[in-house]
Amino acid sequence: MTRPDPKQVKAMTDVAGVPQDSEVSARIATSIGPAFDGFAPVAGTLPMDLEPASFLLAQRTKVSK
Amino acid sequence: MSGEPALMSLVAVAKAIAAKKFSSREVTQSCLDRIAQWQPRVNAFMAIEAEEALAAADAADAALAKGENLGPLHGVPMAHKDMYYDAGKVVTCGSKIRRDFVPTTTSTALQRLKDAGTVRLGSLQMVEFAYGPTGHNVHYGAVRNPWNVDHITGGSSSGSGSAVAARLTFAALGSDTGGSIRMPAHFCGVTGFKTTVGLISRAGAMPLSQSLDTVGPLAQSVEDCALLIGLMAGADPEDPTTSTRPVPNYMAATTASLKGLKIGVPTAFYVDDLDSDVARVLDETIATLKEEGAEIVKVELPDQRQLTAACQIVLAAEAAAFHKRWLIERPQDYGAQVLMRLQNGLAIPAVTYLEALRWRGPALAAYLAAVTGTDAVIAPVAPMPAATIAESDVGNSLDAEAVIQRITKFTRPINYLGLPSLSIPTGFTAKGLPVGMQLIGRPFDEAGLSRIGAAFQRATDYHQRVPKAA
Repeated sequence: MTRPDPKQVKAMTDVAGVPQDSEVSARIATSIGPAFDGFAPVAGTLPMDLEPASFLLAQRTKVSK
Repeated sequence: MSGEPALMSLVAVAKAIAAKKFSSREVTQSCLDRIAQWQPRVNAFMAIEAEEALAAADAADAALAKGENLGPLHGVPMAHKDMYYDAGKVVTCGSKIRRDFVPTTTSTALQRLKDAGTVRLGSLQMVEFAYGPTGHNVHYGAVRNPWNVDHITGGSSSGSGSAVAARLTFAALGSDTGGSIRMPAHFCGVTGFKTTVGLISRAGAMPLSQSLDTVGPLAQSVEDCALLIGLMAGADPEDPTTSTRPVPNYMAATTASLKGLKIGVPTAFYVDDLDSDVARVLDETIATLKEEGAEIVKVELPDQRQLTAACQIVLAAEAAAFHKRWLIERPQDYGAQVLMRLQNGLAIPAVTYLEALRWRGPALAAYLAAVTGTDAVIAPVAPMPAATIAESDVGNSLDAEAVIQRITKFTRPINYLGLPSLSIPTGFTAKGLPVGMQLIGRPFDEAGLSRIGAAFQRATDYHQRVPKAA
């Protein structure tokens, strides 16, 4: 996974229905980029049979000390 | 009984009112006197409702005189972060957009405290839409730290931290999505409890991120927080995500010793790149816990940087979705930094957002496996004490997100995992600013954290220290 560049951010904000100019798109790309970098080791590695609700299962599993 | 009632703990003042050692009016007037003294210096209150508060206090006293006690907080005055809907009252959410918003319903958490007998003092300042960790607010002015008014309180529950520290309210609701209870607790020297996702209803609390938002209190002591959590926790039909498990007696947990408990100290991340005062206080806190009977063990945690990134992705996407209508219709009415951060969420692809949500279960399971055998993990709330208001006023500059990331480095992983975390005052810097540590527990083990935090507070007096008015 790679961080979006300003052009890609501009396209995404257009599609989202909240279009931004080039300057704001560049700032968003700089600002949110590190989150993409940090999540890159996880992105694209998750098994298919994994739902968001697995969080509730993990939360409610009785964990011994 | 003599002395200034506003300086008492929540538990102590509730007992004093019930025993008629102080009237609710005397206690409420004591808070109002301190508010009059401190508000010009710290800007902690959004609204002060002195006349209404005194009238409610008189009603509480009259009821008590007739033998009617409304509950464990009968006649105790309080104010809360201005994002908890209170039917008929303006709830600004710290924003220009909701400057005149009057909800028609009352939040479940707030209603449960009202049902316990509390008196409303007014409402407390906060960061705009709870989206920021410093305490700056371009619409209503920065909230100031009572220990040094040139410094930030932390946010987003900025008014809650400042008001509890200055003893203007006995406790205050905050909310914690990325650290917003623990941060002001740490910077202002008070106790703050971020609860497990699902423990306390979010119904009627302004949303920021439905996956990460949690309701919790800031107060003088762990015992105070335990009392409040016990009153607010439990299933709520208005918030189907709340847990249906029975609510334990958190207060009972506060009397036990630390003997037989194991507390983990991370080997990395939470102990890296610490300010020297924070590093010293961490060592001193660990030493105190050991003296009180806890066994201290090293724990090797999974990579916390990935948790921070996942938290940022989920928070940004969900916040942008909540605010989309106003991002289209009223972008000019947001502060620059909050607008910038909301716009960040527009650039998160749906697949990335869902991956971050799907990974939450395995990430929590991996964390719990790593801390097996411990009762809690101790870590700093932030790598540094409170910065000055001037140096942290980064607005929407290019490095703003980096500054925010550094402040919230140690809190966001816990939000992503949905864990409970208790921030307790544990010392002071050489310049007299408070330093807090967080005790991180297993899901729904608020009782276990209360036990550890209360034992620490029996051995120390940091939570009882009060900043002096100039």
